[in-house]
Amino acid sequence: MTTDDQRDHRRYAHNGPALIRVEEVFRRYPTGVEALRGVSLIAHEGEVVCIIGPSGSGKSTLLRCVNGLEPIDRGRILFGDREVRGKGREARAIRQQIGMVFQSFELFPHMTALGNVGEGPRTVLRMAHAAVEARARALLDKVGLADKADALPLQLSGGQQQRVAIARALAMEPRAMLFDEATSALDPETVGEVLNVMQQLAREGMTMLVVTHEMGFARSVADWVVVMENGQVLEEGTPARIFGGPRLARTREFLQRVEHAPHDATVKPE
Amino acid sequence: MFHLPAFLDAFPALLSGLRVTIELTLLVMPCAVVVALLLALARLYAPRPIANLAMGRVELWRATPLLLQLYWLYYVMPSEFGILLPGLATVAFGLICNVSAFLSENFRAGIASIRAGQWHAGRALGMSEIQAFFRIVMPQAWSRVLPETASMWVELFKETSLVSTLAVADLTYRALALRTENYRTLEVLTALAVAYLVLAYPQAKFCDWLYRRQRVHE
Repeated sequence: MTTDDQRDHRRYAHNGPALIRVEEVFRRYPTGVEALRGVSLIAHEGEVVCIIGPSGSGKSTLLRCVNGLEPIDRGRILFGDREVRGKGREARAIRQQIGMVFQSFELFPHMTALGNVGEGPRTVLRMAHAAVEARARALLDKVGLADKADALPLQLSGGQQQRVAIARALAMEPRAMLFDEATSALDPETVGEVLNVMQQLAREGMTMLVVTHEMGFARSVADWVVVMENGQVLEEGTPARIFGGPRLARTREFLQRVEHAPHDATVKPE
Repeated sequence: MFHLPAFLDAFPALLSGLRVTIELTLLVMPCAVVVALLLALARLYAPRPIANLAMGRVELWRATPLLLQLYWLYYVMPSEFGILLPGLATVAFGLICNVSAFLSENFRAGIASIRAGQWHAGRALGMSEIQAFFRIVMPQAWSRVLPETASMWVELFKETSLVSTLAVADLTYRALALRTENYRTLEVLTALAVAYLVLAYPQAKFCDWLYRRQRVHE
């Protein structure tokens, strides 16, 4: 595990361009709700950035904007050196390089676990059948579900479904992964298995943008923590600084509230 | 008195009509499914004017009686518009328009019932909207609308009997013709009922089976 000093150093030593760069993004829903009000953040290559904050603060909206599933009204989002857009071939090309994991799993219920994981390579990358199957099996093995290849999503526990969903996203060999409250819909006893897979990914150097209520995960895995409230970034910093001595009273209040929340599962120590 | 020989003799006479009934059902249903899917997609995703047009088309055919629709096509189209189609083609066209109107509402509800997250999951993999529709949304919607579609099939099988009023020689037409020959109304109409029952009952049972199967899956 990296120390806070190392993490701080890594963060500030970055000179190269960020992999994900969100610049002054605004998003107002057709209903009139202002979900994002000038949000900026950066994720460098190989970094785990955790986004925390109360419900309705715009975290999930921000994540959907990053891969263009949700349009933005103002500002811009860059992935590498390309601007993220909502529609068209260019938008799809970027989306292929960004994996996404949803709170409600969103596995395809009419396909087996193997079929789900192979769907991206098969339909989007148009890979040959044998190559698709080999990749899908390897990824199911990686998330510890090699024996569940032929199971339908419905036959799997929540934690298993979410691990299949992670494997499905990884099958596109993305450069970055977005996690939208990936453990919020899980039974407490299966939260750990999903967090472990995420932690393993982080160790392997995957660039990750993680919206989470798991403060234990943010504290021990994140390189950088962004606190959001009301569609804005309240403050950001290394986990040590955010959890050790937040500058703002509102951040302190939020952290005190979630520290006492029952669903904060701890991540297995490395 | 029920005359058994007359009852039994009726069946061979019905046979040629049966062929027309089955042909009509087999022709109409697949066409209606395709048209219904296009109507449903138009109402869900097309620009407003086209969606409204599709809605008008659906409501017009849902809100008028099938018998009237068939008569209108059969008598008004040739006399007022000079469009003269063979009788079978005319009634097939009418049935396709009618059945697709009802089916499209079913399809529309089925497609709309697939939650947005499924679209997001497909598109997050880099799929186009068309890929997401055909790979993700449609297979799920299809399994939801299948039971309703199957019972529509049985309904159609029986409703084709209306075409007998337009000199299309289906099962019912043959029976009514036979009745005017031998005046054995009781035997002939009972034979007709038995013919429909024997053919439709397995189809209805098949629908029940689809309903049960679908319940387990969801």
